[in-house]
Amino acid sequence: MTNGKPLLDPVVLARLATLHLRVRAITEGVLTGLHKSPHHGQSVEFAEHKEYAPGDDVRRIDWKAYGKFDKYYVKQFEQETNLRAFLVVDGSGSMGYRGVPERLSKLEYASALAASLAYLLVRQGDAAGLVVVADRVVKTIPARAAASHLPAIVDTLAALAPSGPTRLAAAVDHVLENAPRRSSVLVFTDLFDAEEKVLKQLALLRRRKHEVTVFHLLDPHEIDFPFEDPTLFLSMEDPREVEANGRDVRKGYLEVLHRWLEEVRRSAAEADLELVPCRSDRPLDGILLPFLARRERAA
Amino acid sequence: MSFSLLHPALAWGLLAALVPLAIHLFFRRRPRPTPFPAIDFILRARRETERRLRLKKVLLFTARTLLLAAVAAALMRPRLERPEEARAAAARGPSAVALVLDASASMGYRLHGETLFERARADLLAALDDLSGEEPATAVVCGGPAAPVAAPPTFDKAAVRRALREAEPTLGHGDMTACAAAAARALSESGTGASLSKRLVVATDLAASSWRLDAAPPMVQGASGRERPEVTLLDAARGEPLPNLALTELAAEPDSSAGLRGYRVTATVASFGEPRSNARARDVELQVHLGPPSTPVTMRSYAQVPPGGAVKKTLSVRFPQGGPASVSVTIPPDALEVDDARVATVAVPREVKTLIVNGAPSPVRHRDEAFFVEAALASNASPVRPTVVDADALRTVKLADYDVVFLLNVRALGPKAAELREFVERGGGLFLAMGDEVDPDRWDEELKGLLPRPLHVVKTAAERGAPGAESRAARFADIDWSHPALQVFTGPAREGFEGVRTWRYMLLKPAERGGPGDRVLVSYDDGAPALVEARRGQGRVVLYTSTVDRTWSDWTIRTSFLPVIQRLAAYLGGSLEERRDRPSVVNAPRAIVPDEGQRVAALVGPDGSERPASALRSDPKGALTLVPDRPGLWQVKVEEHGEQRLDPRLAFAVLPDPRESDTARLDPQELTAWFGGEGHARVASDAAQGPRQVPLWSMLLALGLLAFFAEGLLLV
Repeated sequence: MTNGKPLLDPVVLARLATLHLRVRAITEGVLTGLHKSPHHGQSVEFAEHKEYAPGDDVRRIDWKAYGKFDKYYVKQFEQETNLRAFLVVDGSGSMGYRGVPERLSKLEYASALAASLAYLLVRQGDAAGLVVVADRVVKTIPARAAASHLPAIVDTLAALAPSGPTRLAAAVDHVLENAPRRSSVLVFTDLFDAEEKVLKQLALLRRRKHEVTVFHLLDPHEIDFPFEDPTLFLSMEDPREVEANGRDVRKGYLEVLHRWLEEVRRSAAEADLELVPCRSDRPLDGILLPFLARRERAA
Repeated sequence: MSFSLLHPALAWGLLAALVPLAIHLFFRRRPRPTPFPAIDFILRARRETERRLRLKKVLLFTARTLLLAAVAAALMRPRLERPEEARAAAARGPSAVALVLDASASMGYRLHGETLFERARADLLAALDDLSGEEPATAVVCGGPAAPVAAPPTFDKAAVRRALREAEPTLGHGDMTACAAAAARALSESGTGASLSKRLVVATDLAASSWRLDAAPPMVQGASGRERPEVTLLDAARGEPLPNLALTELAAEPDSSAGLRGYRVTATVASFGEPRSNARARDVELQVHLGPPSTPVTMRSYAQVPPGGAVKKTLSVRFPQGGPASVSVTIPPDALEVDDARVATVAVPREVKTLIVNGAPSPVRHRDEAFFVEAALASNASPVRPTVVDADALRTVKLADYDVVFLLNVRALGPKAAELREFVERGGGLFLAMGDEVDPDRWDEELKGLLPRPLHVVKTAAERGAPGAESRAARFADIDWSHPALQVFTGPAREGFEGVRTWRYMLLKPAERGGPGDRVLVSYDDGAPALVEARRGQGRVVLYTSTVDRTWSDWTIRTSFLPVIQRLAAYLGGSLEERRDRPSVVNAPRAIVPDEGQRVAALVGPDGSERPASALRSDPKGALTLVPDRPGLWQVKVEEHGEQRLDPRLAFAVLPDPRESDTARLDPQELTAWFGGEGHARVASDAAQGPRQVPLWSMLLALGLLAFFAEGLLLV
């Protein structure tokens, strides 16, 4: 706790100068939370049996097979390594938005989430990779489980500068090409994509047996639209601009927004994508802990 | 209809309608550039609401502009007016205006729920509103008792408006000719608006009785000398006829056939304001009240009044008691109520208690000295109640119990003489008749100073029954017909008195020098007094020098005997002189003269309101003078011996001015011709065309209010 506020409060995190500090603060907080439930380790997939030989882990002896064949067999697994996760971060111009200066921008919030998850994955021996996408794949870091791999991810996220339009399809293509087996794809985006039906693109990943989780990031100003006066709204991804009185268009804006959010929720459900709505003023543990708990239960 | 503005200078106020636009432009801020990711949503939202927002903005702007413009326009007092009015106003240019308001009694005529006076006043107020700021005005209210006066025109329209609003309708006559002349004089006076043209605006009912067209028309002093003013006549009746039924006369005369205190009431009902051939006669109910109109109805009758004609109706009434009284007649109220009632005051004869002292009684009735007198006084129609005693019984009688004493052929009075003298001096009446029994010397001695003249000797003009006695008999020659006892004889009726023959009569000595005076009412043809009257103290004495039986004169069998004896008894008893003054007319000054020892404390009007004596003015002789402002019975409250009371003897009737009952209207052409023809005068009678002007300010204010509410709804 700092000044009576949760350490994972975005306002508090925003005061931390570097992403490294933020990741430490987040993960410490998250791990404190995780200790409350047992962590059972890796996810594995059964491949074949082999006859027991000294040195094999007695915990892996298949007692049912011993009952059938009166011999000791040990379970062999197809992949002995942990989970492979791709962290897809939307680095387009719209992700640079923050409603008030003291708040994290959506990209900073996404970076904090992604880095924290990368830390947690690598800490438990999973492989974590990074894909930064705007109108194209801007930056990639292959998925590795080595702890030495983590600083590269955090440094890359810390150095991200939002720019350009959004085209998540490029990231989807990249993951499809570089993830030969089943992986977990964590997408951090505001879904303001230049291409409509972006969730259908993400559904391709799901059809290839990848687990897809979309962290849908929105700033409170985007949700509440608190503008009152005549304002010249400038697009953050293209040269468009529109002059409008906030008071006049608020009602219409909120109607359109809510219709769109409903559409996103419905499309995600249809495509069997896990959708995690994220307000950039919410504490991060409020997002991470439920997410991790769900993953544990699924495992 | 054309459009005009009462205050065109306030048109600057319309610039206020630009305030919303100015505010919009002045406070229009440059939009703050703000990067925003969900710009697509804004675009979509704006696309969906843009038309609605734009419409709302336009409506809001319109409502605000309309609100301010409506208020500003209402302040200019816009109105629609008929083209001829606008043309006339434009053609004549600014002028000094005198507004003449007819406030006479006929303006109380009620037409379609409002009086002509109210209409006329509204017309003049509208005319005042029509005047531009450069036109001074004055107001003349016509109808009060005073001669009409008008102040010079002023630019203080509020004062003129106040004068018109505070004007009250009167119940008197209004001389519109004099009022128009007074208004013209006011316009001619130098001062405000002296250089302007002059205009009279007269609001009247055009009653012919209010205008004297034989008089000179009003003239004003213009820039080029004396000239005719421009005259606008506002017909309050809007050209409609004004039929009116009025009680124009009421007379009450004693009616002996109706018995004691019987009166014959004659009322005249006239129809005005409608042509004679218009319709058949109307049945009009007359109600008689023994008192003012507020008292219960005593009698009802009907009269058939032809249109444009008049009818007299005579009714007999009987008052319950003697003394001063009033009688009134009413007809059902019509459009003009002021002349639907009339009051008359009467003096109903009182009972006069009379003692007849018979100096020569006789068992034979017609030879009895008191027979004829008693018979005359005891008739049903006589207010006199006689009591007959013999001379011998006089000493037992208390004279103070009687009003009048008749001494008929009494030898002498003896000790009763002193009581008789005191009786007379305290106000009693005494009638003395001669005869064979009278001792002149004793009379002169006992009644010295009481007799009008001392008795002398009996003179025989002719012996009754002797040849030629009829022609030699004395006759009444020099007769004072003005005396109350004798004034009933007029024309041939006088022969009944002049034909009296007298064979014997008492000669009288000349009146004592320096003594109390006397008055010879009747003399014989030889110059000797026959009937002499004298006032002694508060009482009166009448001496008849012959007899009231048939021995010395044949008067007793003449037709004149009964009325004269009756009236003499009443006269001596004081009731004959109780006569009522003639009624007054509204607005005519009337002097109030109380009796000696009385002081007028207040006057009580027909409406019951009291006017203290201090509010009355005194005439040059010092008598209080009232100018009655309403018809009806006015009563006088007097103060006597420190007590205040209403004195019925001083009550008087005030009649409505008969000229105001005549609602026949002038031909407008006739009146405009008198004012100088169409070039100078016109009659604005526009009842059929509705109001001359339609004010629009109220509609504009309503529009502004509507805009205000609309703006509020749009902001919700």
